[in-house]
Amino acid sequence: MSHDTHHAPVASKLELAPERSDLGLIRPDRSTGWADWLTTVDHKKIGIMYGAFAMLFFLVGGVEALAIRTQLARPDNDFVTARMYNQLFTMHGTTMIFLGVMPLSAAFFNFLVPLQIGARDVAFPRLNAFSLWTFVAGALVLNSSWLFEFGHLSGWFNNFDWYKSLVYTDFAPANGWFSYAPLSGTFGQANAALHAPRFTGVGTDFWIIGLQILGVASLAASFNFICTIINMRAKGMTMMRLPVFTWMTLVTSILIILAFPAITVALIELMFDRQFGANFFNPSAGGQPILWQHLFWIFGHPEVYILVLPAMGIVSEVLPTFSGKSLFGYPIIVFSGAVIGFLGFAVWSHHMFTTGLGAVPTAAFALLTMAIAVPTGVKIFNWLGTLWGGRIRFTPPMVLSLGFIWMFMCGGFSGVMHSAAPADAQQQDSYFVIAHFHYVLLGGVLLGLMSGLYFWFPKIFGRMPNASIAYIASGLVILGFNLAFGPMHYLGLAGQPRRTHTYHAGNGWETWNYVATIGAFILGIGIFLAFANLVWTVFKGEKCSNDPWDGRTLEWSLPSPVPEYNFARSPIIATRDAHFEDKHGGKKIGFENDGGDAGVHMPSQSWMPLVAGFGFLMIGIGMPLLSMGVPRAGWVVISGLGVMFLGIWLWALEGPGGYMLKTPTKTSPTPVTANTSSY
Amino acid sequence: MSQVAESSHASTSTGIDHKKLIMWLFLASDCMFFGTLISTHLLYRKLYPTGFTDAEGHQRFIQNLFNIELTSFSTFILLMSSFLMALAVSAMHKGQIKSFRRNVLGVIFFGLIFLGCQVYEFTHFFHQGLTIQNSVFGSTFYVLTGTHGTHVAIGVLWLILLYFYSFTGKLFGHMGALDVEVAGLYWHFVDIVWIIIFTAVYLVEYLGPSGFWGTGLPITK
Amino acid sequence: MSHAATDHNLVTEEIRRYHHFITLALWLAAITGVEIVLIFLPVSLSIILTVLCALSAIKFFAVILWFMHLIYDHRLLFWIFVAGMGLAFATFTAVLALFAVDRIDTKWFS
Repeated sequence: MSHDTHHAPVASKLELAPERSDLGLIRPDRSTGWADWLTTVDHKKIGIMYGAFAMLFFLVGGVEALAIRTQLARPDNDFVTARMYNQLFTMHGTTMIFLGVMPLSAAFFNFLVPLQIGARDVAFPRLNAFSLWTFVAGALVLNSSWLFEFGHLSGWFNNFDWYKSLVYTDFAPANGWFSYAPLSGTFGQANAALHAPRFTGVGTDFWIIGLQILGVASLAASFNFICTIINMRAKGMTMMRLPVFTWMTLVTSILIILAFPAITVALIELMFDRQFGANFFNPSAGGQPILWQHLFWIFGHPEVYILVLPAMGIVSEVLPTFSGKSLFGYPIIVFSGAVIGFLGFAVWSHHMFTTGLGAVPTAAFALLTMAIAVPTGVKIFNWLGTLWGGRIRFTPPMVLSLGFIWMFMCGGFSGVMHSAAPADAQQQDSYFVIAHFHYVLLGGVLLGLMSGLYFWFPKIFGRMPNASIAYIASGLVILGFNLAFGPMHYLGLAGQPRRTHTYHAGNGWETWNYVATIGAFILGIGIFLAFANLVWTVFKGEKCSNDPWDGRTLEWSLPSPVPEYNFARSPIIATRDAHFEDKHGGKKIGFENDGGDAGVHMPSQSWMPLVAGFGFLMIGIGMPLLSMGVPRAGWVVISGLGVMFLGIWLWALEGPGGYMLKTPTKTSPTPVTANTSSY
Repeated sequence: MSQVAESSHASTSTGIDHKKLIMWLFLASDCMFFGTLISTHLLYRKLYPTGFTDAEGHQRFIQNLFNIELTSFSTFILLMSSFLMALAVSAMHKGQIKSFRRNVLGVIFFGLIFLGCQVYEFTHFFHQGLTIQNSVFGSTFYVLTGTHGTHVAIGVLWLILLYFYSFTGKLFGHMGALDVEVAGLYWHFVDIVWIIIFTAVYLVEYLGPSGFWGTGLPITK
Repeated sequence: MSHAATDHNLVTEEIRRYHHFITLALWLAAITGVEIVLIFLPVSLSIILTVLCALSAIKFFAVILWFMHLIYDHRLLFWIFVAGMGLAFATFTAVLALFAVDRIDTKWFS
C-alpha cells in the first residue's frame, strides 16, 4: 500500500503505536524534543528553524559589517589587515544575502503559505525538510571557512605537511560576494598535476561549494512552493483570491528556479577551471573572464528581486490590516510583481555598464532597467492608495512597513540614477553603489522582513512582542541605517571606491566615514534589540488571542500558536480577504466535511532529509579539504556523496507513511478580540 | 489482468498530480541549466572558429576530430530509447507490468549503449589530442557533453532502481504509473537536450566547406 | 473512481497512443537520417541551416507533445515548459549577441 496510515485516528501523535516504514525502520512519528525537531516535516516547525538560523546569521553578518565599519572609521586604519578586510566584506555580503535574507524569507514562505491557501502542509513535506537541512549544511560549509582562517591565523596547522605546501593561505573567501573571474579563476597553462595556477587559495573553493549547496536547497524549496501554491489551494481559493504574500512567494519561487541554474553552471565552470585545469575563464588559453560576469549577473539580478519581492508581499499584507482597508488595486499589484520578476531577467548587464559592452547593448539595458522602475512605482502608488482614507494604526509592524515604503523609494531613486549609463560610469565601484543597495536591502528588505516578524510572531508563538522595545528598536534601526548609509551617497560621488580596506586622509572622506561607523553601531544595537525582543517573546511574551491585529487572511482564523493539523476542517473560500469578510459581515467561510473524528491525514516524520543534508555537509567540507591537499580528503567527498545518495534512496523507499490525527469539531473561526492594550 | 487508474489520491486544485507538476517545473529549470552550458560552448565556437590547438601545437579542425557516424548512431540509439520509454509508460497505464519491465530494460540497455558511445568518443578525442586543459573547446565540449552524460547516467540508475522496485509488488495502479511517467519525463527531456546538442554542437561543424563557424583556414587533416 | 466503463476507455485510449508512439518513432529515425544526409549536400549554407533547425524543432516538439504527453495533459504544464525554454532561448541569444566582440561601436569615441 502506498499510504499505510494507522488505522485509528489519534488525538495526539504520542498515542500512536510504533509503526515501521517500508524499509522496516521505525518511523520517528512519536519523537519529542530535539529528535522531533530534527525529523519534523511540519512546515511550521521548519519555518521556525529557518527563521532562527536566519536571525543567527544576520547577527554573524552584522558583526562582519561592524568590523568593516570599525576599520573604515579612520583613514589609514589597521584594525584589520587588507586580506581580512576583503574576507570580511565577502563574507558579509554572502552571509547577509544567502544566510540572512533568503532563509528569513523562506521562514515566512514555509510558515504562512499553506495557512494562507487553506492547506494542510506543502506538497512535498520531506522535500521541505531536505531544503532546510541542506541550507544548514551550506551555511556551515561557508562559515567553516572562518574556522580554518582562524586556525591558520592562530598557527594550529603549522605542523601539517599539506599546510606547509600551500601556495596561498587564505581560507575564508575574499573575492567579494560575486567572486569575479579571473581573480577567482586560473591563469596560464595547467601543469601535469591538473592544477592550473590560481590567484586565490582555498577560500574561493569554500565559496564555490557553499553556494552550490545553498543553491540546491533554494531550488528544492522553490519547486515545492510552486507546486503547493498551484495545486493545494482550498476550495474556492482561486488565484486572484490569494493573499499578495502568497503571490509574491510564487513569483519569487519561479525566479529562483529559472535564475539559479545560471549560477550553478557558472560555479561548475569555475570549479572545473580551478580543479581540473579547464579554460572557461582562463585568459591565457582564450577564456573570457567577462563570461563569468554575464553568467553571474544573469543569476544575480533576478536574485535581488528574489530578495525584495517577499518583503513587498509582507508590506502588502501589513498595510491593509492596519489601515482597515483592503489592498488598493490588488490585480495591479499582483501583475506588477509578475512584471518585475519577468523584467528582472532582462537587465543583468546594468551591473556591467563599465565593461565596454558597446553603445547599443548599453543603451538597451539602460532602458530596460528604467522600465523596471515603472511596475515598482505602480506598487508604491497602490500602497499609498491603500493608506489613503484608512484608519491608520501605528503598530510596530505598520511603522516598519511605512519605513519600507519610504526607504525603499530612496533606494529606488539611487537605482534609477544608476540606470543612466553615463552617470553610472562615475558611480560604478564607488560607495554610491553601496548606498543604493543598502537602502533597498536594509531600508527595503530588512524593514519589510522585520515588519513581517513583528506582525506574525503572535500567530507563530501565540505571544505578543513587547511594544515599547519594538518601537525603540525600529527607531534605532531606521536612524542608524540612515546615518550609516545616507552619507555614502556623498562619499561615493566624492570618489571613495568600494572594496578598499582603507583610505588616506586629505580626500575629505574622514568625517562622513566616521559618522557612517557611528550609524552602523546604532543600527547594530537596534537590530540586536529587535531580535532580543523576539527571542524574549518566545519564552516570556504576553499571551495573545488568535487575531490580535484584526487580520484579513486565513491564518488569522486559526488559533495562535497554530495547531499541528492547521485547519480542523478545510475551508471553502468565497472571496478575497476571506477571514476579514467573514468577521465583518461579508461572505462567510464555509467548511468541508473532513477532519473531526475521522481525522486529518498527517505525513510521517523522517530522518532521511537530515541524512541527505548531512551528506551535503560532508561534500561541502571535503571538497575544500581536497583543494588544500589534506590527505584522504577525497574519501570525505566520496563518503559524503554516498551518504547523500543513501539518504535520498532510503527516502524514496520508506514510503510516505502517515497517520490520522483527530481534530476538534468546532468549526467557526474564533471571534475577533479587540486590539490588545499596548497597541 | 489490467488494473487501471484508480484515484486513491487527494485531488489537487488543477487536477495535475503533484509529482508530475514538480517534474515539469524541474525540467523548465533544467532548460536554463543546459541553455547556459550550450551557449557557453557556442559562444566560444563563435570567438575561436578555427578549432583547437593540441598538445603538440598543431592546429586541429573540429570536422576532422568528430566522428559524425558514431554520434549519429548514438543519437539514433537515444531516440529509440525514448520510444521504448514511452512504451514502458504506456504499459504501466494499461497495468501490464511484464511489458513495462521488458520495455524499461530496453531503455536501460540503450541508455548504456549511449553512455558507452560517449565514453568511447571521449577516449578517442583524448587520444586525438583534445583535453579539458589544452583548449577552450576541450573545456566547453567535455563539460557540456559530460554534464549531459551525467544526466543520462542518473536516468539509467533511476530506471534500474524502478525495474527492481517493480518486483516488490509496490509498483502498480495510478501511483505506479505516475512514478514511471515522471521517470519517463526526465528521460525524454534528456533526449531532447541531446537533440539540441547534436544539432548545435555536432552537425553545424559540417555545414559548408569550413563548418558553420568558418575556420578561415583551408581544412587539412 | 473505478468504473468499468472508465477503465475500458482509458485502456482503449492508451492503445491508440501506443500506435502513435510507434509511428512517431519511425518518423524521428527518418528525420535524423535526413539531417545527416543534408549536411553533406552541396546546397547554400543558410538553406541547410534553416532546414536543420526546422527538423530539430520538429523532433523536439514531437517528443515533448507526444512522448512526454503534453498534448494530452493540462495546458499549464505546456506553458511551464515553454516559459523555461523561452527564457533560456531569449537570454542566451542575448548573451551570444553581447559577445560580438568585433562589433564594439568605435564611432562614438575614437
